[in-house]
Amino acid sequence: MNANLLYRDGEWTEGGRYFEERALIQDLGLNTLFWAAGRDVLRDEKDKDRIIALGEPDAFLESTMKKVMLVPLETEDGIRYRQEILQDCLASEAFLYELYACTKGILDAWDKLGRKAGSKTGSRNSARSLIYEIHIMQLFVDSLSKLKALFGKYAGGLRSRGLVSLKARLDAEFSGEKEEALRKILKGIAFYANDKEHEDGVTARMVNKPRIVLGCSLGDGLKLGDFHLEEVDTDTKRYRNPASLLSRAQGYFSERTKTLVNIQRGTELAAQAESLEFNTVRYIVACCEPFVNAFNGFFSQLHMQAAFYRGAVNLMHHMERYQLRSCYPRAGSREALCFRELKEFVMGLEQHRNPVGNTCNIEGKDLLIVTGANQGGKSTFLRSIGIAQVMMQCGLFVAAESYESGIFPSFFTHFTRREDSAMNSGRLDEELGRMSRIVDHVGADSMILLNESFASTTEKEGSVIAYDVVKALTEAGVKVLAVTHLLSFARKVYEEAGTDPDSGVEFLSAQRTEEGRRTFRMIQHAPELTSFGLDLYEELIGTQFILHTD
Amino acid sequence: MEFTSILDMEESAYKEKRRPAFYQDLNLDQVIERIRLDWGEEVSSFYYYFPANSGCEDYRREVFADVKAGNLYDILCGFSGRMKRRREACAWKGEVKENLQRAVWHLREVGCYCEAFGQLLEDMGKLPLKSRGMQAFRAYLDRYLSGTSYAEMQSRASRLLKDMGDFRLVLTYENNRIAIAQGEVAGSFDDFLEKLFPGHGKHLVSPFAADVNLVELEEGLMKAFRKRNPEFFRGVEDFYEKYGNYADDCLIRFASEIGFYLSFCRFERKMRERGYAFCEPVMLASPMDGNEDSIDNGRNNENTGNCISGGNCRNGMASITADIRKDSSKKDGEMKDSAVKDSAVKDSTMQAQGLYDLALACAGREVVANDTILYPGEKFFILTGPNQGGKTTFARSLGQLVYFAKMGLDVPAASAEVYRFTNVLTHFSVEESVETGRGKLREELERLANIMAASLEDGAFVFVVINELFTTAANYDAGIMGKRVLEHFLAKGSRGIYVTHLSELAGEDPRLVSLRALLDENGTRTFRVDRSREEAPADAGSLVGKHGLTYRQLKERLA
Repeated sequence: MNANLLYRDGEWTEGGRYFEERALIQDLGLNTLFWAAGRDVLRDEKDKDRIIALGEPDAFLESTMKKVMLVPLETEDGIRYRQEILQDCLASEAFLYELYACTKGILDAWDKLGRKAGSKTGSRNSARSLIYEIHIMQLFVDSLSKLKALFGKYAGGLRSRGLVSLKARLDAEFSGEKEEALRKILKGIAFYANDKEHEDGVTARMVNKPRIVLGCSLGDGLKLGDFHLEEVDTDTKRYRNPASLLSRAQGYFSERTKTLVNIQRGTELAAQAESLEFNTVRYIVACCEPFVNAFNGFFSQLHMQAAFYRGAVNLMHHMERYQLRSCYPRAGSREALCFRELKEFVMGLEQHRNPVGNTCNIEGKDLLIVTGANQGGKSTFLRSIGIAQVMMQCGLFVAAESYESGIFPSFFTHFTRREDSAMNSGRLDEELGRMSRIVDHVGADSMILLNESFASTTEKEGSVIAYDVVKALTEAGVKVLAVTHLLSFARKVYEEAGTDPDSGVEFLSAQRTEEGRRTFRMIQHAPELTSFGLDLYEELIGTQFILHTD
Repeated sequence: MEFTSILDMEESAYKEKRRPAFYQDLNLDQVIERIRLDWGEEVSSFYYYFPANSGCEDYRREVFADVKAGNLYDILCGFSGRMKRRREACAWKGEVKENLQRAVWHLREVGCYCEAFGQLLEDMGKLPLKSRGMQAFRAYLDRYLSGTSYAEMQSRASRLLKDMGDFRLVLTYENNRIAIAQGEVAGSFDDFLEKLFPGHGKHLVSPFAADVNLVELEEGLMKAFRKRNPEFFRGVEDFYEKYGNYADDCLIRFASEIGFYLSFCRFERKMRERGYAFCEPVMLASPMDGNEDSIDNGRNNENTGNCISGGNCRNGMASITADIRKDSSKKDGEMKDSAVKDSAVKDSTMQAQGLYDLALACAGREVVANDTILYPGEKFFILTGPNQGGKTTFARSLGQLVYFAKMGLDVPAASAEVYRFTNVLTHFSVEESVETGRGKLREELERLANIMAASLEDGAFVFVVINELFTTAANYDAGIMGKRVLEHFLAKGSRGIYVTHLSELAGEDPRLVSLRALLDENGTRTFRVDRSREEAPADAGSLVGKHGLTYRQLKERLA
C-alpha cells in the first residue's frame, strides 16, 4: 500500500537529489525557508489578520521540507500532481492538520510499542515478539479505521488526483470485509496478547481462555503431524473450578469417542499446552504478515508526505504574513523564462518585509548575463529565480504574480562568496575544481546559475575563463544565468551577439535612476561600459558630497 | 561379471586411507571441499585414494561416462535423496527412547529402502548402459528385488505404512483439557486464512516436532489412542522383530559409493554453467612400456649420487631408465590389454589445451587458461618467471590434471591427453614454517627424500610437481642440488614440473622444457605461461600511466 502523495506512481525515496545540494542550500539561503516550513503562524482568534506569534518549531516538518525540496520533479505532470494536492490542503487546512496529527499519533503509538527496537527484540519465536506483532496488527487495524473515517469526513473537499485515489485505495485495500475478518482474527487470538501479562491473576473474576480445535495425523515416529486449524477463539469466562466444566467439555464431544488429558498448572504438560497455543497464534499471525507488510511502510510514508504539505501550508502563511503574492508556477518549455513581480522569498523572511519584485519576459534565450552596479540587487535577482525554480520543481507555489519556466532537474549554482574572492591561486583552483565537477554532471536539461564566478583571479584572466566555460556550456545546451563583474567577458559576448534578436543571449542590468539611485530592479540593458570601481569610489569617497547636496 | 563395488573391480579399503600428501599442495582440499558442499553429503574420503590400477581407472571412467550421459544422473540423484531419507529414519530410530517409536521409525526406514531401490530399478530398466559397473549393478539389483523374501517384506511394510497414514485425529484444547478423538476436520480456519491472504504459504507446525521423543502430552494422547487401535500397533512391533536386519550390504555400499560420481557430476555441471571447461582425458600408455625414446646405455644407481656436471649426469640417469625399463617390461602384456583406446604410443605426447587451476576457479577467482605440451623426448618443465606471476598456479593445474585423470573423472581443461601415471608426487616449500636456514633445508630434504623414494617403487611412473626447492640455500648450492634432484627423476623416467627462480636449471638438456610466466608490454602480469627463455621487460613507469597520474593527463582532466 502506497500513500503516493508526492509521486503519482511511487513512494518517497531518498534518491535523485540535486548535485552538491549543500552548495545549493548555501547559495540560495534555503535553510531559512526550511526553518519557516517548521513553524506555524499563529493568528488571533478573533482578528484573523493579527499575527500573535510563531508556533513551536517542528523539526520533522523542517527536515521533511528540506528532503523533499532537494529532490526535483522531472515532469510537468509530476509538478501539477503536487500542486493539486497542495490546493486541496490549502482549501481544507483542517483536513491536513488532522491527517498530520493522526499519522503522528499512529507512529507515536508504534514507537511506544517499540517500533525502532521491534524488529530486533529477541528471536522471532519469543512470546514477546509474538505479542508485539499482535499489538502491531491491532494498531494497524485501528489506525486504518481512523484514517478511513478521516478521509470519509472530508471526502467532499478532496478534488486532487492524489487524495482522491488515496481514499479509493484505502477503501479497497482495507475494505469493510477485510476489517471485519481482521477483527475476527484479533478477537480469536486476543487470549494470547492480552492475557499473558496477568496470567497469574487467576483470582481476577474474568479470564481469557483459548479454545483451539485442530486436526492432525500420525507422523513418523508416532509424532503428531500435518496439523489443520479448525477453530480458534477467545472465551472470556468467569473463573471457575475446572472440575465443574467437565460436563460441558464432555457434552461437546458426546457423539465421539474421546479421551481427555488434564492439564495442571505449572506442570510440564502445561508448558506443552502453552507451546501449542503459541504455535497456533504464531501461525495465524504469520499468515497475516501480508497485511502488516503492506502497511508497514505506509504510515511513516503517509506521515512524511503529509508533513511536506503541512510545511508548505506554513510557508504560505509566512508569505501571507508579509503580504507576498504567490502563484502556482507553470512548468513549460525550457525556452521560456517569464515572470511578473518575482520576489526573493528568503530575503522577505529574513528581513521581515516585502522585497522589490522583478518582471521579466525572456523567450528563447539560453544565456542571461546580468551586469551592473554593486548592491543593485543583481544577486538578489539571481537568487529569486533560483529559489522560485527549486520551489517550482518540488511542486510548491512561488513568490510571484506569475512564473513560467522550464524544468531543469539538473540544476546548479556556482556562487563566489564575497569573503572567498581574495585573489589567490588556491581559491581559483577550488573554483575551477567545483566547475569541473559540475561539468561532469551537466546534461541537456541543465540550468546553472553563475554568481560572480571566476572573480578570484584578475579581471582579464577571469574573463577568458568565463568566456570559454560559458561558451562551452551553452553550446552543450545548458541554460546559463550569469551575474558578473567581468566586463571584458560581458562585452565580448555582447559584441558577438550584436543586435541579432536570435542570438540566444539576453543582457540585463541593475536599474538606476538618473540621480544614480538604485531601484533594485533589473532592466534589459547592454552591459555597463564603466566598471564598478567608479561606483565604489562614489560609495566610499563621494558619500559626503552627496550628503552635502541633500 | 559379479558386482561388488561401483568404484573398483576389486575390494578397496578406502575407508582406512588418509589424505594423500599431495592433496594440500595441489589445493585439492579446497576443490574437494567445494564438491562436498555442493553435494551436501560427506564424500571426501572417496577422493583420498587412487583406483588400484589403470584397469580400475578405466572401470570408473566408463561408469562416469554413463552417469554423465542422458538422465542417469537425475535418476541417481532421486535415488540418493530417497536413501538419504532412509539414513535419516535410521538415525532417528537410534535417537528415540520408546520401543514403539523405534519400531515405527524402523518401518519408515524399510519403506524408504524399498522405495529407493524399487524406483531405481524401474527408472534404470531400459537405459542403454555401457559401463561394466552399471550393467553388473543392474543385474544384481534385478535379481535381489525379484527374490521372495524381499517381496514379502516390501508388501508388509507398505500395508502398515498405509494404515498409519490413514489415521485422522481431532484435538480439542479447551478449559485446561485436551481431548483426542478419531475423525476428520474441515480445516475451516485454515481456509478462512487462505481466503483472506491467498498464497501466504504458512503452515501450522507441531510445537513438539523439535523433540524426536514423544513429549508428555503426546504420550498421554497416544496411550489413549493405542487402546483403541491395538492391532495396528501389534503389527508394527512384529514387523520390527522380524525384519530388524533387512538391508543388503552390497546395495548399501552402492548407495554410498555412487556419491563419488554424483558429487563430481553436480560440481562439474555447476562449473560448466559458470563457463569453466571440462573434458574426458585421452589416456596414453606409459612410455616406459618399451617406448622410452631417449635411452642411453649405462647402469648403476649410485652414479646419480656422484655426478655433478650435466654431462656425467646424463649417463647416470640413463642407466636407471634402462633398469626400470627392464622391470616394467614384465607388465607389458596386461597393461596393453586394458589400454585399447590409447593413441599410438609413438605419437603420444602429454598435452592439454585450456588448462586451468580448478581450486582458483572454485574460489570464484579469475583463472587464466594455458596450453601446454611435452613433445616426444621432453620430460620435465622448468618454470621460471616473476613472483606472483602464476607459476605455482600453473604447476598446480598440471598436478590436478594428472590427479583427476587418475581418479577416472573429467579434467579441468578444454582437451587433454595424459599418461597413465602410477602416482602424483609433490614437494612445496612450507612458507609458514618458522624454521630458517639449515633447519628448514633439513626439513625440505627429508620430505624430498620421501618422494624420491616413492618414485623408486616397483613399476612406478610418477608425475612430480616441485615448487621452489632450497630457497634458503645459497644459489650455487641450490643450483647443484636442484640439478641432482632433476637427474634423479629424469633417470626414473618420471614426468613433472619444477618451479624455480634458478633459470639456469633448464640448461641445454633437450629433455627439459623451459617455461616462463609472461608479462605484457607494460610489465603487467598476464598469468600466462609459455615456452620462452627471454627476460620480459619490467617497466615500473608504466604503472604510473595506468593510474592516469602523468602531468599531461592531469591537465586534461582538470581543464
